[in-house]
Amino acid sequence: MTIGEPRTIYFLLLTFSLFHGTARGYTPGDPAGLTFEGFAKGFLQDHCTDCHGGSDAEAGLNLEGLGPIDEINQAQWKSIWAQVALGEMPPSDVESPDVIDRLKLTDWIVRELSNHLQEFGGFLASSDPEKGNFVDHDLLFGVLPPGIKLNPTSSPARLWRVTPQEHVTRLNELINREPDYDPKKPGLRSHGDVVPTNHGGELKIYFGTDRIIQWQGGTVAYATAVKSLPAVLSSARDHGLKNYPSFYTVNSAEATQILGAAEDIIRYMAYGPLSIAQAYQITDDPKSIADKMEGDIRGLPSSIVYATSVKRPITPIFELFESDQANDKLVKQAVDYLYEAVTFRPPTESQSRTYQRIVHDSIEKLGKEQGSVLGLSSIFLERDALFRPELAEEGTPDSFGRVKLKDWELGLAVNHALSYIKPDSVLRDAIAKGKMTTRDDVRREVERMLADDSIRKPRVLRFFRDYFDYDRGGYICKDTAALSSTGVNTGSHYRAMFDATASTDRLIELVLQDDKDVLKRLLTTEQIVVTRGDNLYLGRRRSQDEEAASVAAAKLAAEEAAEKAKAELEAWKLANPGETPPKQKKSRQPSINHKIDPATLRGDKVFARVSRRSFGNGSMKPDRELAVVPEGQRMGILTHPSWLVSHSDAMDNHAIRRGRWIRERLIGGGIPDIPITVDAMLPDEPKTTLRERMRVTREDYCWTCHKKMDPLGLPFEMFNHAGIFRETELGEVVNTSGKIIESGDEDLDGEVSDAIDLIERLAASERVEQVFVRHAFRFWMGRNETLHDANVLQEAHRAYRDNGGSMRALLVSLLTSDAFIYRQRDTPASSTQ
Amino acid sequence: MLNRRRMLQGFAGGLGAALGSPFSAKDLLAATTVSSAGRIELSSASTSPKRVVFFMQNQGFHPSTCVPEGAKSSRSLAGLQLPEPIQALEPYKDRLHIINGLHGTHTTPSHSAFFGALGGYRGGDGVPPSAGTIDYELSKTLPSTLMPHLCIGMDSLENMKSKPTIANLSASGAGQPIFMHSNPNHLYQMLYGGISSGEIRQQFEARSSVMDQVEHLAEINGKRLPTADQQRYGQYVQGFRDVNGLRDRLATVSDHLKKFAPEVDGRYGSPEFETDWHDVLLDLGVSALKSGITNTLTIGSGRGEIFGSWKGIGVEQQGHNLGHINQPGNPIWIKIRQYNCQMLVRMMEALDSIPEGSGTMMDNTLIVYTSNNADKQHTNGANWPVMLLGNLDGAFKTGCFTQMDSKRPINSLYATLLNVAGKSCDRFNMNEKVAKKFDSSEGPLREVLA
Repeated sequence: MTIGEPRTIYFLLLTFSLFHGTARGYTPGDPAGLTFEGFAKGFLQDHCTDCHGGSDAEAGLNLEGLGPIDEINQAQWKSIWAQVALGEMPPSDVESPDVIDRLKLTDWIVRELSNHLQEFGGFLASSDPEKGNFVDHDLLFGVLPPGIKLNPTSSPARLWRVTPQEHVTRLNELINREPDYDPKKPGLRSHGDVVPTNHGGELKIYFGTDRIIQWQGGTVAYATAVKSLPAVLSSARDHGLKNYPSFYTVNSAEATQILGAAEDIIRYMAYGPLSIAQAYQITDDPKSIADKMEGDIRGLPSSIVYATSVKRPITPIFELFESDQANDKLVKQAVDYLYEAVTFRPPTESQSRTYQRIVHDSIEKLGKEQGSVLGLSSIFLERDALFRPELAEEGTPDSFGRVKLKDWELGLAVNHALSYIKPDSVLRDAIAKGKMTTRDDVRREVERMLADDSIRKPRVLRFFRDYFDYDRGGYICKDTAALSSTGVNTGSHYRAMFDATASTDRLIELVLQDDKDVLKRLLTTEQIVVTRGDNLYLGRRRSQDEEAASVAAAKLAAEEAAEKAKAELEAWKLANPGETPPKQKKSRQPSINHKIDPATLRGDKVFARVSRRSFGNGSMKPDRELAVVPEGQRMGILTHPSWLVSHSDAMDNHAIRRGRWIRERLIGGGIPDIPITVDAMLPDEPKTTLRERMRVTREDYCWTCHKKMDPLGLPFEMFNHAGIFRETELGEVVNTSGKIIESGDEDLDGEVSDAIDLIERLAASERVEQVFVRHAFRFWMGRNETLHDANVLQEAHRAYRDNGGSMRALLVSLLTSDAFIYRQRDTPASSTQ
Repeated sequence: MLNRRRMLQGFAGGLGAALGSPFSAKDLLAATTVSSAGRIELSSASTSPKRVVFFMQNQGFHPSTCVPEGAKSSRSLAGLQLPEPIQALEPYKDRLHIINGLHGTHTTPSHSAFFGALGGYRGGDGVPPSAGTIDYELSKTLPSTLMPHLCIGMDSLENMKSKPTIANLSASGAGQPIFMHSNPNHLYQMLYGGISSGEIRQQFEARSSVMDQVEHLAEINGKRLPTADQQRYGQYVQGFRDVNGLRDRLATVSDHLKKFAPEVDGRYGSPEFETDWHDVLLDLGVSALKSGITNTLTIGSGRGEIFGSWKGIGVEQQGHNLGHINQPGNPIWIKIRQYNCQMLVRMMEALDSIPEGSGTMMDNTLIVYTSNNADKQHTNGANWPVMLLGNLDGAFKTGCFTQMDSKRPINSLYATLLNVAGKSCDRFNMNEKVAKKFDSSEGPLREVLA
């Protein structure tokens, strides 16, 4: 459905009139007064039990005896909630309940489930981002029926736990000085960029790697000898949006580890490499200490030589430790500096005094050095070092109970929307001077930050990672034989996938830099950022006949070469009778990949952001090229190996996951949870195509949901599970057909011939843009959208569209919306619609 | 979903050990109490205590260094001579079970499977854990103790000093590594700070004071939070209560702990060789078992990496080259393995010395000795030899050699351990699809069960 200007005006008028109480109606998310006897029972009788009743109940589901929600029947009610919210039930061929009754029932179920499951961890499904699409898209972007009463929107007051990436980047700032942004090399990692995962996919902070000029041994020896700390905070999600405020806390294991990490960090801040090495190891002339580096010391910290130039930030922590005394002034400076460095705001006088006292007490017990380390490390466990508050404790609520964020909370919310590091001086000054209180203040800072490339915006990139899920490739454990059959090098595959993730990151940034038709370009661009090794991944899988021909040709060439060498030898012997022929140099057989016809990829030199040196000379390299994909074979991110492998499994493609991704992230559909009674396994038939093995999902019981996913994922069978383009599979022409059904947009529905056909159609859809906006809303608001957010979503979509598909315009719209700026301290628990 | 149990278990990782549950300290000392006669008896509130030790030597465990000559198929060890590297176990042969022929090809163990060795999944240098490891999962399943899981790591002196904690082998979940403790002074402070003296005592008190203040501040900052956040933030505050509460609970059983705490000697502060610290780390680990503080001990000799050092037993070479040596018949590896076995014997003797129920602690213990590197440094993991010592209250066969006839992964051994510990488990960290490729059967290893 498309939204025209008149419809929107109608909607606004309707909203205005409803706000002002000119009509009595239902407020979504507020099922007050509804009961099982008074409402839900009647709904079931009117709309469900005709089919789901009696001895021959449809699908064996009899709802006639279903009573009020309790612990026993909660799974059944949860299923009803999903089916009704998604409009799956009642089916389209029977009389449908009106919209308000649907909303009432789903709201009532959510409230009742929340109440009954409180002691069992609560009912969280309705607030899970994977269920965000359970809110009807057409109600959000279309015209609401009469009788629905909307409230001005806001988000709940809350604490956000910082993400592992944020935390690591924040701590990294204390010990490593990242290079300034270089406009001539915009892809190189610079100050403010996220700390990337390393060569193996691990998120770590590295100590002193920018000063290492020599080490003994190879890559593994380096990785073992160098000092590093893994991320402490955990994240349990690997797909989709990963950071709603309500997801996580910090457990005692993490807190304990943070304390240990803090001590290492403080020592490094104080002493630099001297905290992890002997003094003699710090020299610009490694030869001068050759006598101390004798023997096999590979893998030991003493095998490393550090340059003498100081690279780490020199801070008041350094000054405190350099001084003979820990006087009040030095301790205060150190406390205040560290507090702001880890919480992003200055301490109050009281907070400063408290931590100064802790430091002084520790010094008294342990002496200056150890006491300072221990005392200062406690600051790393300050609440705001691990959680970001949006509590809106100050300010007067408006008539809807909403309070505007302001000052530090608003400033840090804006900062966090884009950045992982502390506010720059302009934003900090604005906050400190009381200029972060209004919507215009927010707009001013957001527009300023978005316009300045030197202010890095890793949160924006994080959104695209969460949205597209292209960063899982290196973590998909592949069966070696199955991987080998794809044609890629099994030894370097995982590393290639981490490189591919970094490449896709960079491509997204390049598209964002142009800021035109961002989503459409990401879906359809022919550009791709590549490493030298990607000519295989972007090549074409040879057919069985072609592979055999390649093997035969290589064999023939080898035989011819041997014949030629033999003939030359004979000729030499004839020419030099009695003499011993010179030793023939053994010619190295060229390494030929018979399985893949490699792509020719050439383009401008660009860079991708990679980890600090984590694996010696085998560390990831930033060098890339901006190339063009082989014509007719690929189109946009969904056809890049990073996305394809992220949506594969150990043995094969994962057509269901790919289809689900498209259904949810592009079309805006929802998929109910798999019933626990389903044995979700495909048959193990190695000589059968995935499409054929997926016949089991076409059983009636499964097909209700799978028909909305499988035909969207199967067009990607034009690639194998390493992401290599293929035209044949098991000796036959590969079937890449698929179909879009029940998308909600009639123009979108229909057969597709392959993934490219599918992508082209989706990329042209306005609905797909709207679904993208819905996901952006979720990411930046940290919650699922409700019907009360309809106006915010429509405004955001309009801003995006009116500005030529501008992500910046979309962000400005979202970040200046009421949903971002206002908080409600007591949100009704059942606000799901 | 977060809940109190998971919170407490989560704490396990942080200390390299876990807080078990909110029961009283005496209830949780491995469910034991000390009778007036000095005999350890079961606490009335608990089930039978059980404990498991994992000893992971790096660089591989070659079958010829453990499989007796003449043992071609499964049989009793009676009448067979144990190979020289493990000869120290000869007197304990009736408690020994040597398993040859498990595999870990799916863990990519060349150089080291890292977390994959105890996780039974793909590992590698820099590869984060993709799920909880068997030691952690067992620690949750075995009868609760104050700190269900303790990990110690042995390495070169230099590495243990510069990186006193490191996480390579154990994990409490995906992306959640558990740290090994390698500095015995720190570990002693953690376990026995309350009954220590001198510098360790000072450190303990200073740290305790800071943690008390951190808890207090966290509590203050939790006031006036929105209702929805109170539980989540409350778990953060509870974490500090648990940390500080553990200290208090240990204090309440200090008289008991004094019986088991090792004496701090010169090796703690001034070690001559790395093996001085290896030895005292082992003492601390064993004392934690004996005192009932923990039920699961993981020992990483070489800390899961491909380096390591044993100069104290006359091995002058250190590091990576040790892995390049072909282990069979090699004098260096004979020394290292013998040193390992001496440690195993020390553990068994120590646990044997403590009466428990109608027998001794060792009767309720299982020691799993293997490598994080399968059979050798450069390996595809097709063979992953394992030695079991003890029978965990009669659950495992002993005095025998098992040659696996079918294709079973190390995961199947781990599933067996979980089942014996009381948690039903057909496959450990292996889904059906992967199992079709790597496991010819399902469920526990019947070959090793009594």
